[in-house]
Amino acid sequence: MDFFTQNSYYVVLGVVLIIWLGIFSYLVSIEKKITKLEKE
Amino acid sequence: MKKPILKYILFIWLAVVFCVAIVLPIPGIGNMGDRARIIFFHVPMAWVSVLAFTMGLFYGAMYLKKKDIIYDYKAAASAGLGLLFSILATVTGAIWAKFDWGTYWNWDPRQTSIFVLILIYGAYFALRSAIESDETRAKLSSVYTILAGITVPFFIFILPRIVETLHPDPIVNTQGKIKMDGKMQGIFFSSLAGFTALYLWIFSLKVRLVKLMMKGDE
Repeated sequence: MDFFTQNSYYVVLGVVLIIWLGIFSYLVSIEKKITKLEKE
Repeated sequence: MKKPILKYILFIWLAVVFCVAIVLPIPGIGNMGDRARIIFFHVPMAWVSVLAFTMGLFYGAMYLKKKDIIYDYKAAASAGLGLLFSILATVTGAIWAKFDWGTYWNWDPRQTSIFVLILIYGAYFALRSAIESDETRAKLSSVYTILAGITVPFFIFILPRIVETLHPDPIVNTQGKIKMDGKMQGIFFSSLAGFTALYLWIFSLKVRLVKLMMKGDE
């Protein structure tokens, strides 16, 4: 637990970046699907 | 975003903003210390919701003028995003309130006004789902989105300034000055730009999807 209390800023940053990466990848995958449908 | 490079720039832009906003030492605002960091997330979310509701009003008015159903779908797409971002702003605000005010929810004028706004736009989607005919739905919900859009400035900008609130001074306060350290202003406006671009991207995706659905219906 010491690790989390001593590096709390970086833990929060890590969580935020993982969430952002998730949202971004989700949007990119949707955009790919839409582009594919538009071409059909 | 037609150019794929733009979305990767947005990804890096917001990732850098998040890194700086969370890790870089800041002087804080008043006696808030690290709790002031919420301003880099919560305020851009609230700003995007105001922008989205205003766009909803604009497209609602455009539908009534041009009678093209796409404007109604655009208004709904924008209002949906506005609702999403105002819920996010409310949740982030409540978490911050727990640490600054000691409780998640205390019906502060700011909390009450955004809660009413969420109810107003919740009712907008209830109205939309209750009408089957495309044309009637578009007409009624366009009028509704205009009426709802007009209330937004009152709930977000005017009401919380009239009554006493615990909420920290808005960015542009009653003196009309920005009370923020220069470094924080830089991060804040970068975050604002990033969130706005994110909204525009999601909005364009929703519009493209609606156009595809309309083609499928034909």
